[in-house]
Amino acid sequence: MLKRRTFLKTTGAAAGAAALGFPAVLRAQPKQIKIGAVHPVTGPLAEIGQACRLGAQMAVDAINAAGGIKSMGGAKLVLLPGDSETKPDVARTVAERLINDGAVMLTGAFHSGHTMAMVPVAQQRRVPFLVDISAADVITANVAKSVKEGQQKVQYVYRIFPTTTTFGRRAIQFMNEIFKATGVSPKRAVLMYTNDAFGKPQHEGFLKAHKEQGAPFEVVEVIPFPEVPTDLSTEVSKAKAAKPDIICPITRPASATLLLRELAKQRVDILGVISPGAPGLYEKGQIDALGKLIEYTMDSVPWINPISPKTRKIAEEYAKRSGGKIFDTNSGYSYEAILVMADVLERAKSTDPDVLVEAIRATSMRDPIMVAAGPIRFNEVGDNASASTAMVQILGQKPLVVHPKESAEAKLVFPAPKFWERG
Amino acid sequence: MRWALSLALLVLVILPNFLGSYLLTVFIFIFFYAYLGQAWNLLGGYGGQISLGHAAFVGVGAYTSTYLSMTYKLSPWIGMFIGGAAAALLGGVIGYLGFRFGLRGFYFILLTVAFAEICRLIVSHLEPLGGALGLFITFTGNPWQFQFSDNRSYYYIALGMMLASVAIVGAVERSRMGAYLVAIREDEDASEALGVNAFATKLAAIVLSAFLTGMGGTFYANYLFSLQPNTAFGIPLSVEIILRPIVGGSGTLVGPILGSFILSPLAEVSRAYFARGGLSGVHLIIYGSLLIAVVLFFPRGAYPYLRGLLRRLPRRGAP
Repeated sequence: MLKRRTFLKTTGAAAGAAALGFPAVLRAQPKQIKIGAVHPVTGPLAEIGQACRLGAQMAVDAINAAGGIKSMGGAKLVLLPGDSETKPDVARTVAERLINDGAVMLTGAFHSGHTMAMVPVAQQRRVPFLVDISAADVITANVAKSVKEGQQKVQYVYRIFPTTTTFGRRAIQFMNEIFKATGVSPKRAVLMYTNDAFGKPQHEGFLKAHKEQGAPFEVVEVIPFPEVPTDLSTEVSKAKAAKPDIICPITRPASATLLLRELAKQRVDILGVISPGAPGLYEKGQIDALGKLIEYTMDSVPWINPISPKTRKIAEEYAKRSGGKIFDTNSGYSYEAILVMADVLERAKSTDPDVLVEAIRATSMRDPIMVAAGPIRFNEVGDNASASTAMVQILGQKPLVVHPKESAEAKLVFPAPKFWERG
Repeated sequence: MRWALSLALLVLVILPNFLGSYLLTVFIFIFFYAYLGQAWNLLGGYGGQISLGHAAFVGVGAYTSTYLSMTYKLSPWIGMFIGGAAAALLGGVIGYLGFRFGLRGFYFILLTVAFAEICRLIVSHLEPLGGALGLFITFTGNPWQFQFSDNRSYYYIALGMMLASVAIVGAVERSRMGAYLVAIREDEDASEALGVNAFATKLAAIVLSAFLTGMGGTFYANYLFSLQPNTAFGIPLSVEIILRPIVGGSGTLVGPILGSFILSPLAEVSRAYFARGGLSGVHLIIYGSLLIAVVLFFPRGAYPYLRGLLRRLPRRGAP
């Protein structure tokens, strides 16, 4: 009922404005363009959701400060923030409400389950949905498939974040490039992963990419462990028995701490720890807790581009507005999604959903603020073809990008000194 | 009373013609949670056997029908009943263990929570069920696959499910079993002394309750298009199921429906008006406070209070 009232009010206002503005030829151009952003701002994922929301809001503010959407008479962007409360049913309802409130495009939703729940809303109500973060391949692949098979007419769902497949491919690619550049090629790798919603697909993607692309090393052992583990000594002795040259761990913060401590305790003799992409190996809290044990650890993760002056400026402002937090992967991708939307609107010169989709498909946005393999472009499935991770290494107790070369801010160290030779 | 109900029903049936997609979604979740609440009510409300693990039945039902549909192309309309049966089986196991060994009160609650957690962990580690990542459903738009491109179809299905649950639980309420259940809730030992087979009655209640809840799982999966063990088996979903009958009045036929019509709009309004500013979570604080107020003022639920109020009204003849 409340919604109907606001609806009447807004349509009434719009009708009034239209009547008043009748002599003007360009009255179809909106002064405001609303964008709905659904993130898990409360619940178990609250901290991440809040970072995403702030990132998106800052991008909107920056675009408005620079004059809004110029091709549409300087129309200003308005962010309609939505909270999924870390629940899929709420994500779906909130997406519906934001569209009712006038959102012409959607972004979100971090959790793949929430993103999936929003996809039918975007498709049914014909509102382009630019997924900022969610790695499950099926999200876009499913829609592309049903459009291809004629069950749906147009694909309204696109994504700028690397997919699980991309994670695996980039990890293998980067490892191969690093081994070639340093002239050290490990022969035996042990893959250890946390057996949860994140670790399982991540390890599968890595193994698949290893098979497809090939690498000088062989994956001699795959060891899963439960999250949250109380002890990893058995897993680590198993790994040690396989005589690995490198350990490739897919962790979460709690398991990362245990794993690195156990590797050092059991004096596992390796060339280095290289993760195919996992949290727990680069955060400030983790570095403070692990000290020299985490030094030289490499992790292939989506990252902000450290050598882009634009990104640095945003990072400084982000620190100010968040009370000292770091501009990271999550806030970064939510920021980037809004930049892409602004770019799309600028070219579409309209908020018509199908015109927007055409503009999305024609996107070629240079200088992304995240580490990428080129300008942002969408492939036939609707994924960002240039989406990439970066190889980050802990050097001098700081996570620094060491690969790919175009984005590197420090020289990588490989092989890494043994755990017991680190002073 | 009868004409008022018929009128309400008529309104609900023609309502979709006047509602947009957003309000349809809100109504769909009102019906859906009322349905789950009604299924819980049978065991928890009438029988007094509180289960805090009902999400397990949603999960089992949802996973069963989705797995069958993805692997064997079996229509979820049929899978729905198989999922319900699987959930009923689980309910039977929980009930047998719990009631056979005389677990009451907190101990029975803990048993249901433990089973839900066990299910969650097992499914998280089953490769064919997608493990921790879960299952993702591809949209086909095929009604036979429980998929519709129009929200209105989901609305009518959810409405139908809610009405069916009312009819079934209503029939139980009027039957001998209903009387037994209430007797067990009020005083199990006394009822047994009077010849009520408490074990069999409670077991029948949990099996039926689990069957209905399991059928709801199919709707859950096909409306949200993906299943993750943490959400489908998690405590938050169990709590969501229980809240409706408690707020509306557990052990009454109208309770879960009324509770759902109170809670879902309350949550929506607090989201729509207080979730916009920079302060995240304010809407949840407001929702929580309202919830506390409702429970404080209507400790037995809203419906018993309303019923009392209606009885006190002076009766008038027809105009």
